[in-house]
Amino acid sequence: MRPSRERARKSIFAGALLVLAVALLLVNIPTQGRSSSGSSFVLQTGAGTSYIVTWNGNDVSSYSTVSAARSIDFTQSVTLEYNWSGTAPVTISDARLQMYYFGFAMSTRDQIVTNPVAKASGSIPLTWTPISINYVLEGAYRLTASFLAPNGTTMFSENFYVRGNAPLGFVALVPIVLLLIAIYEVYGILRSGRYAAIGRKPSAPPPAAPPASPATEPTAPTEAAEGGSTPPSEPSPPASGGSS
Amino acid sequence: MSATTHGLGCGVVLGLVIVLFLQQVGSLDLSDLVPALEYLIVGALIGGILGALIGWALGRAYLSHQAASEATAPSK
Repeated sequence: MRPSRERARKSIFAGALLVLAVALLLVNIPTQGRSSSGSSFVLQTGAGTSYIVTWNGNDVSSYSTVSAARSIDFTQSVTLEYNWSGTAPVTISDARLQMYYFGFAMSTRDQIVTNPVAKASGSIPLTWTPISINYVLEGAYRLTASFLAPNGTTMFSENFYVRGNAPLGFVALVPIVLLLIAIYEVYGILRSGRYAAIGRKPSAPPPAAPPASPATEPTAPTEAAEGGSTPPSEPSPPASGGSS
Repeated sequence: MSATTHGLGCGVVLGLVIVLFLQQVGSLDLSDLVPALEYLIVGALIGGILGALIGWALGRAYLSHQAASEATAPSK
């Protein structure tokens, strides 16, 4: 019993070390490997071209951090305006809005321009109603507004944050399920003391063995063996002729 | 399963759930993969350690309470 307990203790210690090492490795990932939250980047722009994305008339660059996230209702439609202006003409064929969760685009909305032409300035309106997730999720999310060229390259991209509110404030499915799981796990921790009795050795010897079987029972197999073909499970045949 | 391991398991799940819940109430950003995984691992680690400690303490308290009640019980 004791060696197995020591082995379990060693394996728990090794597991904890492994988790700690993974956490330290993740923390030490270089900053350039992380995504640039709340910042804009330009891969290829015309000379002096400025890009501005507005959310219901407000510049999204003012929502560049989680604390400054714009509070929205997932059931209401919003209008984004993708504007660009400059001296050199640029060709924009697609205005894209993406919503990210764990690094993956959870929702993507595209406004594709038919027959795009190079213009020094322009505007693309995009309407978005994230009603499909209003009863599932809420919370803070990063959105990325991008201007795409006809060959697919990103001309300009800007990250900003929104804080989605569920209908009636707290009716989304995921937070309710998470809350129920948390309550159940707290209850599990509070009841964990009872599990100590399971692994404990009993202090007193176990109760005595069941009462001894009748004395004739041990002789039964020998009788069966003498009988030859009689299986042991069958009752012993009655004594024939030997009853006198 | 001992009280410590049961507390550890519950604590790990609770740590993960709390991180996800904080995102849902808007206090935490899980949009990017790397910080999101960091938050989850740190939450599971802290939850596991605290849960194991609480489970261990509750297990000891339960055993001592049981031993005391066995000692005071009238012998048959």
